Parts: sequence; C-alpha cells; structure tokens
Amino acid sequence: MPLDLDPSILGQEFDRAEYGPVTAEELIAFARALGETDPRYTAAGPDLVGHPTFCVRYKGKKFYPENLPKNINVRSGFDAGKDLELGVPVRPGDTITVRSTAHEIYEKTGRTGSMYFVVIRFTMTNQRGETLAVVDNRFMHR
Amino acid sequence: MILDLHLHSELSDDSRAPVEAYLKLLRRRHGERPLDGIVLTEHRQFDLRRDYRALEDQYGFLILTAAEVETDYGHVLVYGVNEDILGRFDFTNVRLPAQEVIGEVDRLGGVALPCHPGRPTVGLCSHYASKPALEGVVAVEALNGGSKKGEDERVQELIRRYGYGAYGGSDSHLVSFVGICATEFDTAIRTIDDLVGALKGGGYRPVDFRHRRAA
Repeated sequence: MPLDLDPSILGQEFDRAEYGPVTAEELIAFARALGETDPRYTAAGPDLVGHPTFCVRYKGKKFYPENLPKNINVRSGFDAGKDLELGVPVRPGDTITVRSTAHEIYEKTGRTGSMYFVVIRFTMTNQRGETLAVVDNRFMHR
Repeated sequence: MILDLHLHSELSDDSRAPVEAYLKLLRRRHGERPLDGIVLTEHRQFDLRRDYRALEDQYGFLILTAAEVETDYGHVLVYGVNEDILGRFDFTNVRLPAQEVIGEVDRLGGVALPCHPGRPTVGLCSHYASKPALEGVVAVEALNGGSKKGEDERVQELIRRYGYGAYGGSDSHLVSFVGICATEFDTAIRTIDDLVGALKGGGYRPVDFRHRRAA
C-alpha cells in the first residue's frame, strides 16, 4: 500500500529533551565499558572528553511524531541502524539538548515484500549551542 | 572490457561503501577480479551532477552512473539516465510500471534491464508466474553477487524461454563484494552512451569471479 505521507511533518521538531550536566565519571565509565584505553577518554583531568559514541546514549522522550502515515505499523519493526555525524566532543559539565525531527520516511521493496523506513534525526547541542552530534536513527516497519 | 554493472555506494540507504574504497580494493585485487570499471546503481535515485572524474583519473578505472528502480515486475536497472527520463519517471515511486519503464527509457535514449530476476518478490521470475511477460526486455541479470542458492539458477530457464541477453553484476553494498560478478564486453566502453549502445547491441556475457575470491 503506498505511503499516505504528509510531507510537512518532515523536518519539524516533535520533541526536545535536556540532559546533564554530564560528569567526568560518566564519560570515563562509558569509555571503559567499550574497552577504550586512550587517556583522552579515560583519564580524569582538564583534557578529558567523551568518547565519540557517547552521544548515542541520549535520545528524545517521544519516540515518533503523532502523524506518521497510518499504514506504518509502528507496533512492530526493528532498528535498522544509525548514522552519526560528530561535532565538538562532550565535556564534563555539559548539558545536552536533544531535538527530534522526522528526517525521512520512505518505502522500499525487498525479497520479503514492502518495507517502510522511518528516519528520526536527533540533533544534539551543548549549553553553548555547539553541535555535539547529529544522529539519524533508522527504523524498519511492515 | 569487464565492468561491474550493479553496485551501490553510501548514497544508497542500505550501503555504507565509499566509491573510493571500491576502487582501492579493485586495484589491490586486480589479479582476482580483473575489472576495468564500475557502474554505480543507487537505489531509487539519480543525480545528474555526480562527477567521479577525479577518482577515475586517480585510480584508472571507468566509473559510470545508473539507477536501480522498483517496479510492478521487480527491480530494474536504468542505464543512460538523462533529464528526459528523470522528467518522465519518479524514481522514488516503488510501484513504477515496468512495461512503461522499459519502453520509455528505450525511447528516451537509455536501456532498462531487470536485475536479480530469480529473487522472490522483487525478481522477474516471481512476477512472470502470475503476469504476462514484458515486451522489449533486452537482457536480464543472469549473475548477481547477492543471489541466494537457486536464485541465479532460476534465471537460466527464463533466458532459455524468452531468449534474453545476459549480464552480471555484484550488487555490492559492501566494499569486499565489488566485482565478484561482472559483465565482459567485446567492445571498448568509455561513456554511458557506449554502455547503452553495447547493452542494446549484444556482444557481452556475465562473468563470475566468486571462485577466485581470497579466503
């Protein structure tokens, strides 16, 4: 069934969430959990920054916008991957704002039939307005 | 001349393969996969502004661009995409009418060839089981690097029955798969128009390098 998509929902912010302030202990624990040994990410001090993938632990409070096309069954699906574009690193004391937008919604066909993809973009900034990361979260539904 | 006629780069939503990484691998493994070039067939899109001449010069491979579109008879590769073809069809539509695509693309200066015809749901064989055969099909992808067991075998019967030409492509979405299946041409190809002319004219065959792949 073709997607009944209202294109005006694309790019519109549907959620904003704030986190922090981030502590040095959190940054170090995250990096160590990955097996990271680089002191930039694991040694407390003025040069400490968050591991590049640290931002992936944050998300919006609302998963999807209200007005997704009705033929997308949002109750079943799976995570189809993330694209990360990194900005400035996260530092201790940062507060993080996550703005959520529906970036892309499209249909494709494969061996098992039609699939609908929803890409939710998280734009993460710190208290200085600097971009920490842009994360595109891709989900697949029938 | 050997070209991989079907592969995807990071411009496609389901591939993360940079074009340059494909070229580096082909250069490194030229003894195993002796290709002269590649044809990028991104899913449901075509950008007339894409220009890979700098990479061609740097690596010495021909790089051409085409598109993989989705139709009511499965997926189809469109070579020779131009403004007229882009004006005629919305490549993002996953229900394009295959018969119109094949006829109109030919009329507008390109050629549209069904790919992975043995694949369930998105291949020609599945659709021929319940719908009439398409007219004007020049060739089908007889070797596809992403085929599962039995899928390419189904295509042989299709080719025998309808007399279609045969070509091959890796359908690579990952760098390591580039060139594992390809097409060998009898004539030299330097431009997309050369390729369209050759595909319409014959004198090519699928070639399989999977058995040569390093373990």
